[in-house]
Amino acid sequence: MRQVFSFALLLAAGPAVLMAAGPKTIAITGGKLLTVSHGTIENGVLVIADGKIAAVGEAGTVQVPAGAEIVDARGLTVYPGLIDPESNFGLTEISADEANNDLSERSDEIMPHMHVGDAFHGETELIPVARLNGITNAVVAPATDDSIAGQDIFIQLYGADREQMILGRDVALAMNYGADQRRRGGRGGHSEYPSTRMGLITQLRQTFLDVQDYMAKQSAPKKDDAKKDDTKKDEKDKPQKRDLKLEALIPYLKGERPVVIGVYEGYDVENIMALANEFHLKVILNHVTHSQDVLDKIAAWKVPVIVGPIYDFPKANERYDAVYTLPAELAKRGVKIAISSADAGGPVSSHSARNLPYAAGFAVAYGLPYDEALKAITLNVAEMFGFGDKLGSLDAGKMANVVLANGDPLDVRTEVKQVYVQGVAVPMVSRQTILRDEYSK
Amino acid sequence: MPHSVCLLAPVSRAARSFICLAIVAAAFAACGAQPATPADFVIQNATVMTASHGTIEHGTVWVHAGKIAGVGAQVNAPASATAIDGSGLWLTPGIIDPHSHSALDSDVNEATSPVTPAMHMIDAFDNRDKALYQALAGGVTTELLLHGSANMIGGQAVVIKNKFGLDRDAMLFPNAPGSIKFASGENPKRVYGSRDQLPSTRMGNFAVMRQAFEDAKAYMAEWDAYNAKAAKGDKTATAPKKDLKLEALADVLRGKLYVQIHCYRADEFLTEEAIAHEYGYKIRAFHHALEMYKVAGKIAPEDTAIATFADWWGYKDEAWDAIPWNAVMSLRKGVRVALKSDSNDHIRRLNQEAGKMVHYGGASEDEAIRMVTLNPAWIIGVDDRVGSIDVGKDADLVLWNQDPLSTYARAQKVFIDGDLFFDASLPGFGTPHFSGAMHGEDGFGGEDEEDGQ
Repeated sequence: MRQVFSFALLLAAGPAVLMAAGPKTIAITGGKLLTVSHGTIENGVLVIADGKIAAVGEAGTVQVPAGAEIVDARGLTVYPGLIDPESNFGLTEISADEANNDLSERSDEIMPHMHVGDAFHGETELIPVARLNGITNAVVAPATDDSIAGQDIFIQLYGADREQMILGRDVALAMNYGADQRRRGGRGGHSEYPSTRMGLITQLRQTFLDVQDYMAKQSAPKKDDAKKDDTKKDEKDKPQKRDLKLEALIPYLKGERPVVIGVYEGYDVENIMALANEFHLKVILNHVTHSQDVLDKIAAWKVPVIVGPIYDFPKANERYDAVYTLPAELAKRGVKIAISSADAGGPVSSHSARNLPYAAGFAVAYGLPYDEALKAITLNVAEMFGFGDKLGSLDAGKMANVVLANGDPLDVRTEVKQVYVQGVAVPMVSRQTILRDEYSK
Repeated sequence: MPHSVCLLAPVSRAARSFICLAIVAAAFAACGAQPATPADFVIQNATVMTASHGTIEHGTVWVHAGKIAGVGAQVNAPASATAIDGSGLWLTPGIIDPHSHSALDSDVNEATSPVTPAMHMIDAFDNRDKALYQALAGGVTTELLLHGSANMIGGQAVVIKNKFGLDRDAMLFPNAPGSIKFASGENPKRVYGSRDQLPSTRMGNFAVMRQAFEDAKAYMAEWDAYNAKAAKGDKTATAPKKDLKLEALADVLRGKLYVQIHCYRADEFLTEEAIAHEYGYKIRAFHHALEMYKVAGKIAPEDTAIATFADWWGYKDEAWDAIPWNAVMSLRKGVRVALKSDSNDHIRRLNQEAGKMVHYGGASEDEAIRMVTLNPAWIIGVDDRVGSIDVGKDADLVLWNQDPLSTYARAQKVFIDGDLFFDASLPGFGTPHFSGAMHGEDGFGGEDEEDGQ
C-alpha cells in the first residue's frame, strides 16, 4: 500500500487546512457491524491496517494487533462507505452559475470522447458535505442531454488531489435515450436531425457501425504485408488518422466496459435494449421509473439497474407508490439493483447526494428487504463498476472505507460520527459545519 | 373572504363548544359542498403525537362531527362510536405545508410587472391535479398555495384542505386568513434585469417595494379624504376610482393580509423588517430563510416565523450558505420554525424532512413534528383550528405504520374534518372520495420556485 495520505492534505473545506495522519492500525471494537457481504455482527471487531480492512469478525474471534488504536464503537453501527451510482461531483458548484458548470457538451448528441476526468474538480465543496453522511465513493457522470454524453469516473470522496480521488477513469459510457434527447426537435417549427426517437436510434446505430468499420480498418493487415512485391503507393497504406470520437467507443463495443443507459419509459427501454443487444453492449440500465410494464423483460435481459430517483413522479393515473415500490419489484425478480441519490423532477444534483441512504430506506418502506437496500448503495454499485473486489463490504482485503453512525444508516434521524477513507479518519468538517460553528459561538 | 362559498362566521376559540360545532357542521351540510357529517369514531391504542402537549403512548382520540372531541389515555367516547384499532401505529395531526405551488399548472408568476398584488392564486387552482393526491398519500391535509418569486409583490395565496375528490370550493379552507406573497433577492432581479427593466439589483428590488407602498398610502389618503367629506354630507365629494392593485397593498398596510416573504439572505431579513416597520405592517414569515441562523436573535423579537427547507442548498448564490442546522439553530434563538416543501416531490415526505431535524441539531420529537404541523398552521393563521391533536380542533389526522419521523413511515389513513380521504389499504388510488382521471401536470419538481430557471 502506498502511503497515499502521508502528507498534508488540503481539504476542500476552505479555511480549514487540516492535517491528516497516514493510515494507522486501528481496531474498531464493540460496534454492530453491517458487513453487507456476510450479515450482521452484533458485537464486532474490525481491524484496519495499511488503509485496508485487515480482519473483521465477532469480538473474541479477531486478534487486535498490539499497538493498534482502539476505537470504542459500542452503541454505534459500523458499515462500509456508501457509493453513489450517479453523481455530478466536481462538475458543478452553484447550480445556477453556468460559469462553473461542466455538465454536458451539447454541440452534438454523440460525445463519447468527453472524459469526465478532464473536468472533475476535486476541491468542490459538495464532496465534504456528502462525505459527512457516509458517502465515500461515487460514479461521476455527465448530464443527460446527449445520447452518448461521455465517460464516467469512479471516485473516492477524499484525497490530497484529483489523482488520489479518481480511482478509475473512463469506467463506463454514459448513454441516454428518450424524449429529453430530442432537443433539436422544434414542434411545428425549426428542427434539425435528430429530432425524433427514430432519428436518435438511427444516429446511434450509424455511430456504432462507424466504430465497427473503424475497428476493422485498424486491424486490417497492412498492404505491404499482404503483397510484398507491390511497390505501388496505395492511399490506404497511409497511417489511419485517429478519430477520437470513434476510438472512444471501441472498448464499449467490445463489451469490455459497461454502458449506463438512462431511460425512463417502458417502450423506450425496449427500443434501446434492442439496439444495445444488437451491438452486444454490456448494459447497466438507469432510472426505468416509468417501466412497470417491462419489469419481467428487464429481469430476462439479466442487466443490472440503477433504479430511481425513487422520488420520481408516477404517471397521472398510477397509484402514489408506483415508483416507490420499483426497487422492491426489481429485486423480487432477481435484478441486481443500485439506488441513486437524485431528487425527482430534475437533473441529478449532487448537493443532495447526502440523502442517498434515505432513498434506500424509502425503498425499504415500500417493500425492499433491508439487506438488499444496503447492498444497493454499497456492494452492488462497486460490482457494477468494477470495484467489487475493493469496495462495498466489510471484508478483509478491501479498502478501509468505513462509517460509524449512532444508529440505522438508512434512517433520517441517524447521525454519522466518523468516516474512514482508506483507513484515514476523515475530519468531520465541511463548509457547512464551519458556518454552523461560526454562528453557534 | 372573497373566495369562500359557505358564509360562516369564523369559529373563535371562545365559542368552541359542541352546540356551536353542531351548528357549523349543519351549515356545511346545507352548503352541499361537504360530505355528510361523519359518524363518531375513536382511534384506540395508538402512539399519539399531539404536537401541542407531547406524545401519549397507547392513546385514544375521539372524533365527533369532524372535530376532535377527546384525546388522552382514556376518553369518554360514546359506546356507539366506531373503533379503529391503532395498535402499533402512530397518530399525528395532518401535515401542513406552508409553501406549496401544487395544482396551479405553473401559473404562479404574473411576471409582467414586479408588483401584482391583485393576482389571486385561487384563479389558477386545479383541484384534480395529481400532485394533491400524491401529497395526500404523504399525510398532507392543509396547504398554503403561494405565488412564485418572480415579483417583489406577487399576489394573494389560497389555503386549501386537501380533500382530494371534492369539488374546488369544498377544498378551500373555510375562513382562513388571507396571505400575500412577497419576494426578494435574486429571482426578481433576474426576471426583470434580464429584460433591462427595474428591478435588476437588490437596490432596485427594495425601491420598487417602497414606491408601491407610497402609492398605496396616497391612495388610502384619497379615500380617507373622500370618506371624511362624505361623512360630513358634502355632496360635491366624488369617490376615487377603485384600484385592485392599490386596494390589495392598502390591505397590507391595514394589517388585513399576512405577509409571506421569499427571502434568503441575512441582510435581506433585516432590510425587510426595517421596511415593514417603516410602513407599519408585520411580516408573518420568511420563506426559504436559509441564512436565518446568522441573525435569528434579531428576528425572534419581531415574531416573524420561518418556513425553511431541511437541507436544500447550493442551487444558486443566495443558497450557498445554507446549512441543515438552520432550522434548529433558529428555533433555539426563539424563532418559530416550519419546514415546507416548495416542491411536488418533497411535499410527499415532509414527515421525513422533520425527522432530519433530530439528526441536524438534535430537535426533540415534539419540536420536529411541530415543524410540519402546528408551526406551519401558525404561519398560515389557522393554528386555532388545525396543527395539533387538541379537543375542539378539526379532526385532520394521519395514522402511520411507523414513527413518522423515520425513513420508513407510510401514511395508512388520512382524515380531514373527520372524513377519510386516503386509505392505503384500499385498492386503486386509495381515495374514498376520488375515482376518475387526474390531471397530469407535474408543476414544480423542486429547486425553489424560480420560474424559468
